[in-house]
Amino acid sequence: MTGVRATLAVCRYEFRMQIRRRSLWITIALVAGALAAGRFGMGPRYAPAPPGAPAREVMTRWAFLFSVILPIAFGMALADRLLRDRRLRTAELLASLPPGPAGRLTGTFLGGVAATGAPALAAMLVAAGYETVRRGDLTMIPWGLAAFAAVLAPALVFVAGYALVCPLVLTAPLFRVLFVGYWFWGNVLLPATLPTLTGSLLSPIGSYAASWLLGTPVLYAGIPGPLPVLRPEPTGSAAAASIALLVVAGLVPLLAVGLLRGRRRTA
Amino acid sequence: MDIAITGLRRSFGRVTALRGVDLTVRGGMFGLLGGNGAGKTTLMRIMAGVVAPGSGQVRVGGYDMTTRSGRRDVQRRLGYVPQDLGFYPDLSPREFLDYVALLKGLDDVTARRRQVGELLDMVGLADVAGRRMKGFSGGMRRRVGIAQALLGDPALLIVDEPTAGLDPQERIRFRTLLAGLAGQRTVLLSTHIVEDIAQTCHDTAVLAAGRVVYTGSVTDLTRTAEGATWQMTTTGAPPTDGVVVSAVTREGGTQYRVISQARPSPDATSVAPTLEDGYVALMRRHTPAPAV
Ligand SMILES: Nc1ncnc2c1ncn2[C@@H]1O[C@H](COP(=O)(O)OP(=O)(O)OP(=O)(O)O)[C@@H](O)[C@H]1O
Ligand SMILES: [Mg+2]
Repeated sequence: MTGVRATLAVCRYEFRMQIRRRSLWITIALVAGALAAGRFGMGPRYAPAPPGAPAREVMTRWAFLFSVILPIAFGMALADRLLRDRRLRTAELLASLPPGPAGRLTGTFLGGVAATGAPALAAMLVAAGYETVRRGDLTMIPWGLAAFAAVLAPALVFVAGYALVCPLVLTAPLFRVLFVGYWFWGNVLLPATLPTLTGSLLSPIGSYAASWLLGTPVLYAGIPGPLPVLRPEPTGSAAAASIALLVVAGLVPLLAVGLLRGRRRTA
Repeated sequence: MDIAITGLRRSFGRVTALRGVDLTVRGGMFGLLGGNGAGKTTLMRIMAGVVAPGSGQVRVGGYDMTTRSGRRDVQRRLGYVPQDLGFYPDLSPREFLDYVALLKGLDDVTARRRQVGELLDMVGLADVAGRRMKGFSGGMRRRVGIAQALLGDPALLIVDEPTAGLDPQERIRFRTLLAGLAGQRTVLLSTHIVEDIAQTCHDTAVLAAGRVVYTGSVTDLTRTAEGATWQMTTTGAPPTDGVVVSAVTREGGTQYRVISQARPSPDATSVAPTLEDGYVALMRRHTPAPAV
């Protein structure tokens, strides 16, 4: 019980510290704004839905428009979160307090993810508000939330796991550079050019979830490439599998660090 | 809380930080002296449960620090101010204390708020309690450091070099504050500033190269230099025998204070030692003479 309370305390304060970062809000606002303004020139998939389109389609289009670049900002913003206690020289104090490393890690993850997702959620809500006014359809808000949960949230969790853990080995600046490279390789580059995960269940850009919400394959979901197992027909269950896989894959690095730190403490 | 340590060793890779420490601490304020790299911080980190002992026995308040559960039990009764403690720039002292209090298990909101408020008052930060710590001076940060350690009214307080970098007045305020806290609890203080120990501690231990080279009362440590503390004034070369602890140039020449077993010069007079003299005399015995 005390473990849960301590985890919640870490979560609460990690959330508070992350959400106060002005750079996080500015970056997300700039990227979301640029995407919103530039979507007319990004090809038919990204262009606004035609008049009379259902709210589900309108808001899913917004979500996958944002998911092209926003997760990069998530990665950047989360890269220093686990390193920070050591850099700010608070790690020693935290280690002298009763809660163990597992609770601190879980709390940091939850708080960091929630705070990093907040501006993106705000961007979705702004888009939903705009569409509500423009199209006079009140279901834009719930569909906006659903599209956020299905397309952007799994990407956030997946990215967060690696963004928190990899910099422990790579340092934050190196991670950031490699992460941008990965993002384009693993989400945009086509398997025809190089072996890549683009269009697979493990593509955090949300190909499967967006395809399912739209009822038609988008973002290369299921295109042939390496690891055919990970490239089923884009159906509802494939979308669910993709979301589950992304979340689990995001938790793997955290689990590894948790086990490692737990062991080091006993050593 | 009593502390009983026997045969404690601890290495980090190839560096041996503690090579067989025996030490007993019984309540009150206890000073830990020693040069850079002597092992003070390592010893304190072990007592704070931050690092595990390598080998040997370490009991703090009866809890066995070689076990994980023992360390956890001590941590529930501990206040720790690490050497070089940092802070979160975006939090105010009130928030930082609230965070630490939550991690210490002070779950009751009202009680927690009250305690945080009282401690902020006590360390004189009530006026800036809501301001972000980004712009705080070194002294203000130290005060936040000591306030967080006192949350939960710990029976054991471990304070690693709390006065380093403080101005003299702030330093004196700080050590007086610490001494006032020692009434009901064990306070373990490490420092390079011998005067802080002289003014606040009854008992002390001196570490050198990972070993305890002295443990006992402050008065007895001062006595180590009895009959070996000299003062002399000369216009000539500085004394070559012994360690010069001070040199003040005046009109009639330079006045030296020297620690030496033998009278350093015929006109040197024997003077009463201070704790610093005692410390220097002790260290002289335990450091190999530099090769000439
Ligand atoms: N985590 C660590 N990894 C490697 N070496 C370490 C570590 N901690 C301490 N040491 C080494 O152990 C020795 C004792 O260090 P410690 O910090 O305990 O000394 P100290 O008495 O506190 O010194 P100071 O007065 O400079 O703070 C030093 O040689 C130090 O380099
Ligand atoms: Mg030290």
